[in-house]
Amino acid sequence: MNPLQNTTQSVRRIAVFLGKEFLHGPRNFLFIMAIVVPLVLTFVIQLLFGSLFTGQPRLGIVDEGDSRLVTAAEAENAIRVNRYPAAAELRQAVAGGAVDLGLVLPPGFDDRVETGETVAVNAYLWGQSLLKNRVILATTLAVLIRETAGQEAPVEIVTTPLGDLQSMPWEERLLPFLVLMAVILGGSMVPATSLVEEKQRRTLSAVTVTPLSIGELYAAKGLLGFLLSLLMGTVILVLNNAFGIHPGLLLLSLALGAVMAVTFGVLLGHFIKDINTLFATIKGIGILLYAPALVYLFPEIPAWIGRLFPTYYMVQPVVEISQQGAGWAEIAPELAILALLDLLLVAIIAFFIYAQRSDRRLLPRPGKSG
Amino acid sequence: MAAHTLRTLVAKDLTLYFRNRFFAFITVLALVFYALIYFLLPATVDETLEMALFAPSVPPAFAEQLTQEGVILRQMESETALRQAVVDGDVPVGITIPAGWLEGIAAGEAEPLHLFFRADLPAEFQDAYRIILQEMTYAMSGQPLNIRFTEETLGPDLVGEQIPMREQLLPLFAVFILLMETMGLASLISAEVEAHTLQALLVTPLQTGSLFLGKAVTGVGLAFAQAFLLMAVTGGLSREPLLITLTLLLGALLATGIAFLIASVARDMMSVMAWGMLAILVLALPAFTVLIPGIASQWLQILPSHYLVDTVYRVANLEAGWADMTGNLLALAAFSLAFFALGALALRRKFQ
Repeated sequence: MNPLQNTTQSVRRIAVFLGKEFLHGPRNFLFIMAIVVPLVLTFVIQLLFGSLFTGQPRLGIVDEGDSRLVTAAEAENAIRVNRYPAAAELRQAVAGGAVDLGLVLPPGFDDRVETGETVAVNAYLWGQSLLKNRVILATTLAVLIRETAGQEAPVEIVTTPLGDLQSMPWEERLLPFLVLMAVILGGSMVPATSLVEEKQRRTLSAVTVTPLSIGELYAAKGLLGFLLSLLMGTVILVLNNAFGIHPGLLLLSLALGAVMAVTFGVLLGHFIKDINTLFATIKGIGILLYAPALVYLFPEIPAWIGRLFPTYYMVQPVVEISQQGAGWAEIAPELAILALLDLLLVAIIAFFIYAQRSDRRLLPRPGKSG
Repeated sequence: MAAHTLRTLVAKDLTLYFRNRFFAFITVLALVFYALIYFLLPATVDETLEMALFAPSVPPAFAEQLTQEGVILRQMESETALRQAVVDGDVPVGITIPAGWLEGIAAGEAEPLHLFFRADLPAEFQDAYRIILQEMTYAMSGQPLNIRFTEETLGPDLVGEQIPMREQLLPLFAVFILLMETMGLASLISAEVEAHTLQALLVTPLQTGSLFLGKAVTGVGLAFAQAFLLMAVTGGLSREPLLITLTLLLGALLATGIAFLIASVARDMMSVMAWGMLAILVLALPAFTVLIPGIASQWLQILPSHYLVDTVYRVANLEAGWADMTGNLLALAAFSLAFFALGALALRRKFQ
C-alpha cells in the first residue's frame, strides 16, 4: 500500500472511531459536565454580577399615583430600583433583604411636593443594610425629590477622573476564567477521562487488536475533545457578547487553544491508569491551568506572572480580540508561542507513542497478511 | 450487633475511604481550603463612605454637613496631596473647595466644586459621591426638603455591627463539607459493589442491617467530624455550641441518607460523581440565599438543606437560640430520618 492509501485508510479509521465516540461520548458524565458547567457558570455570573453584586443600593417603590420620581430614580446609576404593586409585597421584600429601602409614594405625590406641602412617606428599612447604602439611598432620594419639586442645584459639581486605570466590570474580568474552563473541560478532561475509562474497562486492549493504531485512537478521542472545546469556547464568547470584530481570528485562537487542551488531556490519559488518580492529578495541577485567569481577575497582579503559565497564551489572544478589538498584528506573538507549544505537545505525544511501540498493529492489515 | 463488630466494620470503611486517593485528597484539601478562605477574608465590614478634602479654610458648616450625611472626611494639605491620595487609592474620592465658597453659596454665585476620583472607581460609586455632594450643597443653600419619613426597620438593625462575609460563608462551607461526604460515602459503597466485597460480606454471619449500620456510623462520623472541626477552628461554636453540634449531627445523618440513595442507583464512580454533583447542586441552593438575600423563594423550604443552613446561619450570626430554632430542628430531624430510612431501604433492596 502506498503512503497516500495508508493515509486515506488511517483517516477513514479515525473517522469511524470518531463517529463511535460521538455516539457514546454524550453518555459520559464529564462530556455532560463540559457542556453544562460553563453554561451554568455563565448564567450565574451574569445573574450575580449583572444585577446582584453591582454594589448599587437597592430601592423598592410602591407608586400609588404616577410619580415622575420613580422614572427619575430608575434612570439614576447610583441605585437600583424595583417596583412593587402593594405595600405588603414591598414590606416582605425589605424584610427578606431583596431591597435595602422601601418607599410607598402616596397618590398626588408630585403635585404636593411641587406646591411645597410637607408629604408623609412610609419607608421600610432592611436592618442588615449597610450604612453607606443607607446614605446613598437617602441622599439620592433627597436630590430626586428636590428635582421633582423644581429646586435648582445651587452649585455645579465638576468631576475629574484621575489615573489611567479603567474600571472593568467583574463579568468581564471573569470571562477569561470562563473561556479557560470551557476549553479545558471539553478539550482536556473529555479525552483524558475517556482514555482512562477505556483502560479500566480493558476496552483499550480490545481496540488495539483491531487495525486501529494507538495514534489513531488518540487522534479520534482528541478530535472529539477538540470539537467540543471549540464549540464550548465559541458558545461562551457568544453568550457573553464577546465575539469581537474579528471572528475568524478569534476562532483560530480558540482552535489553537483547543489543540493545547486536547494534547494535554491525551497526555494525561496516556500516563494515568485509573479515574481516581486522574481526578487527584487534575485537582493538584488545576490551579496551574487556571492561574492566568487570576491575573485578569485582579489587575493589581503584575501581568508578567501570567506569562509564566502555558494557558496564558491560550486565553490572552481571546481576551485581546474580544475585549480590546485587537487584530492579527497585536496577537501574533502570543499565537506564535501557542502554536509552538501545541507542536511541542504533539511531538511529546508522538514520542511516547513511538517509544511504547503502541501503534503496532496486532492483527494483520488487509493486503499485508502473507 | 456486638460493639466490636461495628468497630471492625467502621475501621474497614475508614481504611477503604482513605485508600481512595481522590476522596482522601479532596477531604483534607477542602477542610484546609475552607479554613484558609475563612481566615483570609476580612473579619470586619467597612460600611463607611470616605472623602479627602482640601480647602484653604474648611468651612465648619460644610464639614459638619458631610459628617451628618455619614461621610468620613480626611483633610489634605494641598490639592496635589489630595490628587495623589486618590490616585494611590488611599481614598476613593477627593473634593476641593475654593476660598470664599460658602459666601458664594449664600449670595447664589458659588464657584463649582471639584470632585476627583480614580478612573477605575465603578460608575455607580462615582455617581453616588456626586449625589451626596449635591445634596449637601442643597442643604447648605437652605432649600427645604418637605418630606416626613415614617421609617420602620425590619429585622435586627445591624448598623455598626454588620456580619462579615466570612461569617456569612461559614454555614455555606459547613453545608458543602457535609454534602461532599455524600459523594465520599456513596463512592465507598459503590467501590465495594464493584469489587464484590459487599456481597462477600453478606455470605458471612454478618446481617445486612449490621452492615448498613456500620456504613451509617462511618458516613455520619466522617461528615460530622469534618463540619464540626471547621466550625470549631473558625470559632463557629462560640455561640450555642450544643445547638450547632446537634444541627451538624442531623445534617450528617441527612448526608448519609442521600449517600445511601446515590449508592443504590449508581453503578460506578463516574455515576456516583454524576448523581452526587446533582445532589450537591440542588442541596446547596439554600446556602446561596444567605449570601444573596432577596433571592430566597418559598419553594426553597422544600429542600432539607434549607433548615440546616438557616439554623447554622441564624444561630452563629443572628443570636438565635433553641426557642427560635425548634421548628427548624424538627423539620431537619424529620427530613434526615426520612432520607436515612429511604436510603437504607433502597440500598437493602439493591443487595437482597
